Amino acid sequence: MRGIHLGELEELVLLTVGSLYDEAYGVAIIDELKEQTGRELNISAAHAVLRRLQEKQLLESRMGGATNERGGRRKRLFTLTKLGKEALDDSMLIRNKLYKRIPKLTFNFST
Amino acid sequence: MNKARPPAWAERFLRWYCNPFFLEEIEGDIYELFDRRARDQSVRRARLKFIWDVIRFFRWSNIKRSNSKNAIMPKSSLFRNYLKLGIRNLRKYPVTSAINILGLATALGMAITVYIFIDFQLHMNRFHTKGDRIHQVINYVQNESNNPLWSDTPFELGPRLLQDHPAVEQFTRVEYTSASVRYRDNVFEESMVFVDAAFMKMFDFAVLAGSPSALANKNQVIISYDMAKKYFGEEDPMAKEVIMSFGNGDTRTFEVGAVLEDYPYNSGMSFDFLLPMGNFIDQSPPNRNGWAYFTDATFVLLHDGHTIDELYSVYDAYVEEQQAVGPEWLVERFTTIPLYDLSTKGYEMSSPVVLAVEPGGRIALALIALFLLGMACFNFMNIAVVGAARRLREIALRKVMGGVRKEIIQQFMVENLLLCTIALLLGILISRYLLIPGFDVMVPELDFEFRTFFPFDLALFCIGLLCATAFLSGAYPALYISRFQPVTIFKGSQKLGSKNTFARVILGFQFFLAFQTIVAGVVFTDITYEMTKRDWGYEQHNTLSIYVQNSANYELMRNAVMDQPHLESFAGASAHVGTFLPREFFEYLDHEFALRRAGVTSGYLEMMGFQLVEGRFLTDQAMDRKSSVVVNEAFVRTMGWDESINQTFVMDSISRTVVGVVKNFHYDNFYARIEPFVFTGVEDKDICFMVVRSQDGLTSLDQHLRNTWFDIAPNEPYDRNYQEDTFNYYFRSTRADMVLMLIVTAMALFLACLGLYGLISMSIQGKLKEFGVRKVLGATPQGITRIAGKQYVWIVGIAFLLGAPLGAYLIIMMVDELYPVHKPITAGPFLLSISVILLTMIITVVGQVRRAVKVNPASILRSE
Repeated sequence: MRGIHLGELEELVLLTVGSLYDEAYGVAIIDELKEQTGRELNISAAHAVLRRLQEKQLLESRMGGATNERGGRRKRLFTLTKLGKEALDDSMLIRNKLYKRIPKLTFNFST
Repeated sequence: MNKARPPAWAERFLRWYCNPFFLEEIEGDIYELFDRRARDQSVRRARLKFIWDVIRFFRWSNIKRSNSKNAIMPKSSLFRNYLKLGIRNLRKYPVTSAINILGLATALGMAITVYIFIDFQLHMNRFHTKGDRIHQVINYVQNESNNPLWSDTPFELGPRLLQDHPAVEQFTRVEYTSASVRYRDNVFEESMVFVDAAFMKMFDFAVLAGSPSALANKNQVIISYDMAKKYFGEEDPMAKEVIMSFGNGDTRTFEVGAVLEDYPYNSGMSFDFLLPMGNFIDQSPPNRNGWAYFTDATFVLLHDGHTIDELYSVYDAYVEEQQAVGPEWLVERFTTIPLYDLSTKGYEMSSPVVLAVEPGGRIALALIALFLLGMACFNFMNIAVVGAARRLREIALRKVMGGVRKEIIQQFMVENLLLCTIALLLGILISRYLLIPGFDVMVPELDFEFRTFFPFDLALFCIGLLCATAFLSGAYPALYISRFQPVTIFKGSQKLGSKNTFARVILGFQFFLAFQTIVAGVVFTDITYEMTKRDWGYEQHNTLSIYVQNSANYELMRNAVMDQPHLESFAGASAHVGTFLPREFFEYLDHEFALRRAGVTSGYLEMMGFQLVEGRFLTDQAMDRKSSVVVNEAFVRTMGWDESINQTFVMDSISRTVVGVVKNFHYDNFYARIEPFVFTGVEDKDICFMVVRSQDGLTSLDQHLRNTWFDIAPNEPYDRNYQEDTFNYYFRSTRADMVLMLIVTAMALFLACLGLYGLISMSIQGKLKEFGVRKVLGATPQGITRIAGKQYVWIVGIAFLLGAPLGAYLIIMMVDELYPVHKPITAGPFLLSISVILLTMIITVVGQVRRAVKVNPASILRSE
């Protein structure tokens, strides 16, 4: 589906899920986000974004195996779908395209 | 080592609200965070943050139980589907739906109106914020009247209560009076009240301009908004001076101290002028005892925290004191009635000052509304069953596709709710724009608006009404239709509608009522209409009378009018036909009877066009002026004379001789029985009416007389009356009666026809196959029409035989009561009402019967 709109946070979370590969679950994602961007996210917000992305079919999920940590609760592990990967590619492409169109002049002014 | 635990209540809370489907992952993540924080930071912080997390997870997406990804057919879209189908059905059969909805809407509109009306009565006077502490003191009185409970209480009562009892904070009395009020050229006779200064402090009547304390100043008057407009128009009324001439000859000048805002719709009091009580005390004879004189009402305001029962301790002493004065009226005992209860309970006392309504009307109206609603629901139900019959295949298909009975019921209830909602909205419109304005016109003294005291009540009532009607009218069709088996439906052998005796009895009853109201309505309208065109017994056109008050004014007015070119004739009188004439009692031989009389100058009778039966009119001779009388036929009949001319009788100790007899005439409206009437001569000093006649210049004569009057008596109103307008108020009220009758009749007929429509189309739908077979076997269209309509002809016939005579009987009783003299009741109204009903019935039925007649045997019988 072309023209899927990704919010800024959604895009960040989607990228994080991609980078964590196979180990992407709630807490790991907020940890990674904090490490990489310095942005603190409440766990409930992360869950909401993840669920939204799953409804848009950009992510898929499965339950991991049980461990003794986390009070014995299993993790829900997220992975990118093909659609998710395409959405990321798309947004990257658009960014690059737009970025390249910025005249050099602008940089002179900004310095 | 004891592992740190998160707060147990937060865990429980999470488990309670969270969708179990998400619970594990959420718990896992926040436990992990908790463990880490307990380790890195502190247990306390970790626990706090845990609580915070639980709260942050408390959002709808985690709470809601239905997971749209898992349900095959979510509930919401099922409902959307029901609604969509409902709307499509509405569109597909617009006429049926419109009729059906309209029928229900009419009944709902009526119910809403009645509710508002009852609410209005129950919440009267509630806007007075101190109202819970205000009570009216009333008393049982020994006098000659039937009702010993009176609103009128001794004048002394209020001040004494205030003086003797610590519970009383303030009091006010209300004393009616009337005066002619003058501001510049505006002079009118008005009714007004004297009140104590506390009146405006006790009652919350909002002031538009000026100060509510104006009553403290004896020279100030508070006027209502209507009066401000009437006297001052666009001018600012504040501090303007008005002159009031009271009935006892006292004339005083008042300054407008305040103007009240328009009275609230639920105000039981709406006085036009509030005058300080001090003026009334000035006017009273100085030696009058305050216990002997009864003022119109006494209200007391209690201090907070006191109850009215405390006052009973002083009442006994008052009764003794009052009786000791030995007045005409003896108080037996005092009692009280709270302000808020006056509108509902005040009808028990005589001459209340606050509007009071008897409960009978409320109960009757509520019953009528309930009854109409029941009928409408019943009709609605029948038509709904027929409507569903067209969709049997849809129902069967739903069942085959896995729809359970519960869902079919649900579907029908949702559709029904949709119809009922539309009907309700329509009903609200009918009530708002038709019924309530109608009521308002018919009962102008009530300020009736589309609102309830608490707006929320009306909304709640409408919602309740919606639920009730939707359930009553929808439950049966839903249960009935949903029971059918798909197999029988597809096979086409599903039979609809059985011999439903209950339904027929109800239908019969509706027609019974319809016939009754229609016959009653037509008879009533017929007679009333005839009445308005009745001969008055004299010539009412081209005449005009003026109340000139005394003979001196009469003299002046007569001189001023004599030379007017348009004047045809004029006369004077001590009492004038067409104005209020008091009943007098007259004793003749051994029996007493009521009569009315008027002293008239010569020429009066000729001018007014009274019709002589025998004898002659009065002349100007001395004998005629003193002792001759002209009487009406009723007088002759009452006296039992065979020969009336030259008969004598004694009245006012003067021997009177009858010189003429005139035909009976209507001196009062047509409701009143014509009683004996005597015209005598009049002495000049008794003349207080002037009557003039002019063929073509009456209005210019009127103008001339008005100008003359203002020169003669500037402080008195120019009180003139065109003779032909005498009964206008009466004609207006009869017209309102007729309109009301018409509405009730139309509603009854409409509902009955709806019932017929529903039943007949249901039965034809159920018998289509039978008609098909009959056609194949050679039945004619007439034969089929006969079979289709047969049973209903019976029902309607029986209803007519029972209803029409009863309706006629009831209305004749009522008409006899109302009009002592009326034209005989003929067969005309009956024929008319039968044809009206037959016509509407035929229109109702014809479409359905055509369906039966036009049935194509091939298509109907094919499925077997």
